Amino acid sequence: MRARGARVATPSGELPEGVAAQPPEAQPSAVQQNGKPPTASRFRIFIVDSGWNSAARRVLHENFALIRDLQKDDPIYVLSREKSVEFMRRHGSRIGRDPIIAVHDMHALNKGGTAGFHGFRLSLGLLRTPQQALMGLQAFARFLVEHRNSADLEADIRARLRREGLSGAIEIAMHHEAREIGE
Amino acid sequence: MFDRITEVISLVLGALAVGYLVYEIDRRQRKLHEIWDVLDGEDAIITNSLEDMVERDELRPFAGAALA
Repeated sequence: MRARGARVATPSGELPEGVAAQPPEAQPSAVQQNGKPPTASRFRIFIVDSGWNSAARRVLHENFALIRDLQKDDPIYVLSREKSVEFMRRHGSRIGRDPIIAVHDMHALNKGGTAGFHGFRLSLGLLRTPQQALMGLQAFARFLVEHRNSADLEADIRARLRREGLSGAIEIAMHHEAREIGE
Repeated sequence: MFDRITEVISLVLGALAVGYLVYEIDRRQRKLHEIWDVLDGEDAIITNSLEDMVERDELRPFAGAALA
């Protein structure tokens, strides 16, 4: 179990995936930009994508700029293809689930380390059609924006999953067309 | 006699409907949990390896315009 120190996102310049284009000291920090002390990011977002030719990957690429604009308060770390493949080789059970978006809740990480709840993961690659992937991505962005100040993110996520399961049941009971989830 | 058969059939069909509903709810929740999942102790190794990459400056916040 390790507690983590919060770092501040200081995006600058054009960077290829996961590779620094400039040394850190050359990049303007949040302090340099607005003269105020940096505020810690609530989340760190990691994207792991080994490069499967999938609908989910295309949707992620097409909408990434918007996702980034919506989540500009939190740093997004994109693993290069090489790093993603290496990641998949070490964690074989994740193969075929990528692109994976992992969100680390820095409040939880700093408080309790990695032993307990410390974030959530969206396995976008399990959504097979462009429509499903887009809806998943939109739900992801909505959830992050709505819950970035949540005192209990775990409870929010579990409540959401319960609601989704229940709404699915209601749809079935009402003989409505069931929402397609990853099929 | 006929009423009794009808009653039994209704009960069986009702039980099947409830069973299907329970099965469908369970299936959907499993699927949802596969797609959306919380990170906990089981993910500690992965989380630590990603955080270590950030600490070591192997990963920087993405600042490009679009994914390659």
